[in-house]
Amino acid sequence: MTVTIKDAEIREHLRERSVATLRRRTYISGVMTALCWLAITFAAVPLVAVIYQLLRRGIPVIVKSGFFTTLPQQPTIFDANNTGGVSNALVGSLAVIVYAALFAVPIGVLMGVYLAESTSKFASLLRIITATMVGAPSILMGLFAFEVVVQQMHVGFSIIAGSFGLAVLVLPVLATATEIAIRNVPSTYREAGLALGAKPSTTSLKIVLPAASTGIVSGIILALSRAVGETAPILLVIGGAYAIAWHPNQAASALPFQMFQDVQSNYPSLQNETWGIALVLVGAVFIISFAARLWAARKKKVQR
Amino acid sequence: MTSNTSTDLRQAAEGHRPSAASRGVYEYVVLSAAGLFAIISLYFVGSIVWQALPAIRHQGLYLLTGTSWVSGGATPALSKFGGLSMITGTIETSLIAIVIAVVVGTGTSLAINLLLPSWMRTIAATTVELLAAIPSVVYGVWGMLVLAPLVISTVGPFLNSLPGGNAVFGTVVAGQSLLLAGFVLAIMVLPTYVAISREVIGAVPHELIEASLSLGATRWQTIWKTILPTGRVGLLGAGALALGRALGETVAVVLVIGQVNQLNFRPLQPGVTLASWIASQWGEAIGSDQMNALFALGALLMAASLGVSFISTRLVSRQRSLVNR
Amino acid sequence: MTSVSGITDPQFEDPRLLPAAMSLRDVSVAFHGRVAVRDVTFDVPANRVTALIGPSGSGKTTLLRSLNRLHDLTKGASVSGTILLGDTDIYQGGIPTTVLRSRIGMVFQRPNPFPTMTIYENAVAGLRFNGVKKKSVLDAAAESALTSADLWDSVKQRLNAHAATLSGGEQQRLCIARALAVEPEVLLMDEPTSALDPISTKRIEELMVELKKRVTIVIVTHNMQQAARVSDLTAFLLMGEDRAGEQIEVSPTLKLFSAPEDQRTLDYIQGRFG
Ligand SMILES: Nc1ncnc2c1ncn2[C@@H]1O[C@H](COP(=O)(O)OP(=O)(O)O)[C@@H](O)[C@H]1O
Ligand SMILES: [Mg+2]
Repeated sequence: MTVTIKDAEIREHLRERSVATLRRRTYISGVMTALCWLAITFAAVPLVAVIYQLLRRGIPVIVKSGFFTTLPQQPTIFDANNTGGVSNALVGSLAVIVYAALFAVPIGVLMGVYLAESTSKFASLLRIITATMVGAPSILMGLFAFEVVVQQMHVGFSIIAGSFGLAVLVLPVLATATEIAIRNVPSTYREAGLALGAKPSTTSLKIVLPAASTGIVSGIILALSRAVGETAPILLVIGGAYAIAWHPNQAASALPFQMFQDVQSNYPSLQNETWGIALVLVGAVFIISFAARLWAARKKKVQR
Repeated sequence: MTSNTSTDLRQAAEGHRPSAASRGVYEYVVLSAAGLFAIISLYFVGSIVWQALPAIRHQGLYLLTGTSWVSGGATPALSKFGGLSMITGTIETSLIAIVIAVVVGTGTSLAINLLLPSWMRTIAATTVELLAAIPSVVYGVWGMLVLAPLVISTVGPFLNSLPGGNAVFGTVVAGQSLLLAGFVLAIMVLPTYVAISREVIGAVPHELIEASLSLGATRWQTIWKTILPTGRVGLLGAGALALGRALGETVAVVLVIGQVNQLNFRPLQPGVTLASWIASQWGEAIGSDQMNALFALGALLMAASLGVSFISTRLVSRQRSLVNR
Repeated sequence: MTSVSGITDPQFEDPRLLPAAMSLRDVSVAFHGRVAVRDVTFDVPANRVTALIGPSGSGKTTLLRSLNRLHDLTKGASVSGTILLGDTDIYQGGIPTTVLRSRIGMVFQRPNPFPTMTIYENAVAGLRFNGVKKKSVLDAAAESALTSADLWDSVKQRLNAHAATLSGGEQQRLCIARALAVEPEVLLMDEPTSALDPISTKRIEELMVELKKRVTIVIVTHNMQQAARVSDLTAFLLMGEDRAGEQIEVSPTLKLFSAPEDQRTLDYIQGRFG
């Protein structure tokens, strides 16, 4: 590079350009800033809109007598508003999630402990697998549950098949939450334990895990409360039933399952009913996650 | 007090000093949980591929290139299962979703980090998490009962009234369409994208922002030339993560896309995706060769979404190590 | 030349009598109502080096950042008083912030080249922000600025290498070049050598003495030797009772380090506190 332009020329060109482009630069910056405001408004609109609809159309549904306690009815041409309730779906959802938790929580938490504590090659491979599995589409869990539980185990369409699908879905989430909670425990805790002569396993069980328990428990609650709203993993295998069922081998309904069915029916009254179920689902998830967060924050304060 | 506690701890440690065997038990239990998950993951991939094999054997390339989906019933030789419409529908809706989510999500993250007062930042972050907690079937119901009528009454006619609107967007017939599916998906993956991009943009060192401003850059020049380039790897990862979610979403799409097995390329036309086709055909397919074909679509979806998911986690962790250097 | 008590050097000029590049009048800065710097008043002589010294927390950085309105970014920060650049009050809307910041450059405590840009792109980043697109001008400006920052010879072969490949001292000189390329009238430097080794520090100190021919420099340092070596005028800040930084003494450097007017200055330079 050979300099043919003098410093004075550079300076003059710079000042000239700076002044000439100032208005445009300022204007573009203003417009783009406004667009960022617009973006965040746009992002908030669906939440407000959905919640508004849930409350406006959902509340009349859930205050209807028998909504929570009676079985669903098929509307007829004589009584188009005869939709009944969701008692079976409510029981089914609870049963599905409880069985899923029984399977997924112990494995997920133990596996999270392993991921947090091990430095082996297998652990780093498993971390990659876990992160990848978090992104697996939930409909595939339905196919998997069908293959394993319905076909290979000859259980048939059942609550337990749905639980299996949900469990596989939440396993990597639980493991990751546990791993993070344990990693957030200050390393001095572990060092103190080891310095006192405790075995690594004792240190983990008696010092590290108790310190991480708040994070682990709130992680479990958040993951499970979200799993209750999942439709795809149970859609293919739960069978759908118009009776109360909680035995693992029975076919059953579930809240999101029933929503999915009802909204596709030809009866406006059944379609409308889905707003009530949606309100129950969303309300439950919001309240539970909020309570879990509050509890975790409170716990943390006490510990300090 | 302090010495007391440490004596207690020591006693506790000694009292529970595990024998070699019990130490083995703890590690064995933890390892076997991890091993079980690894086996489940492998079995997950294996069984979907396994069930897909018969369809792959019989249909061959037609699975990827064919457009008709007819079951031969008792004579499987007559079955034709082509997945092209599902593949294109998946790509189209995901593309619409990801473009909207990346543009709106990046703007949102910039606003949260640079424009909002700090007390509102926490509120915004919680709001984003709440959006992510709403079950997908709820978005589907909302899209079907609230948005689809809007597409028929307002959005569709408006787009059609634009010059060339019919040619570009297709003529609106029902509210359920590729466009509506893409839009609903965008709303659903937005929290995923914002959760990561907010973190990425927040982690851009403040010194760089100040360096940029101190040279006379405007706010937007600072964003465009400094903040976004510094975070580009992580933003790409966030986009990939959101894409993975959009590819595999099922029930919401079933309710808003129209579920028509047609090779459509105009946004206002109805369509179908891999996941939504699996869900909607499932009832009649169980036990037949059609079921294997649905598993084959599932295997394709699995390859795409696990691939995207893998790439996205790599990108996000690379960004983290870049910034924490 | 006027006589300043305690200075006998016949060559001595009093920087306070020179034309001012910037003037500070009763400048105070507060964060969320808590005052960090109070009532600072002095003139920054043009084409000289002015040093801000004082113990850690005395508000040196805070004062420096008020000079190019960098506090505008900080929520809860407020600046009062008057700061003039030439005759323009920089806080009274007489000058857009972007223009102000292109006329007053800044070098930070830790080298902060843009990591996604090459050496060349870093050097011309400010020109591009200011709308310069012409390749020939950018090339010439890059060479000129990198030469002024004493970096040209070592990087001219690898202008397209990433800035992160440079050593710490080189990175800081790149940051100086980046600031100089915009041809600022004033260059603010916040402890520019505190993250560097002694050799790099020496080169940057020599550079400052060289640079004052074309730019007015205000440097924050808590290294008193450095202030004594490079500056012409020194302002000494100290926390008052309420921990707000106050100006104790602004004197020609020679005088401040040999015969300070204030007892607290003497205590400080003799290392009795801070
Ligand atoms: N962004 C900020 N918010 C609140 N207080 C600040 C901020 N920046 C500086 N301060 C306060 O201002 C005082 C002076 O700080 P600073 O200017 O960094 O001192 P120095 O550079 O002399 O070491 C300190 O008490 C510091 O806590
Ligand atoms: Mg400082």
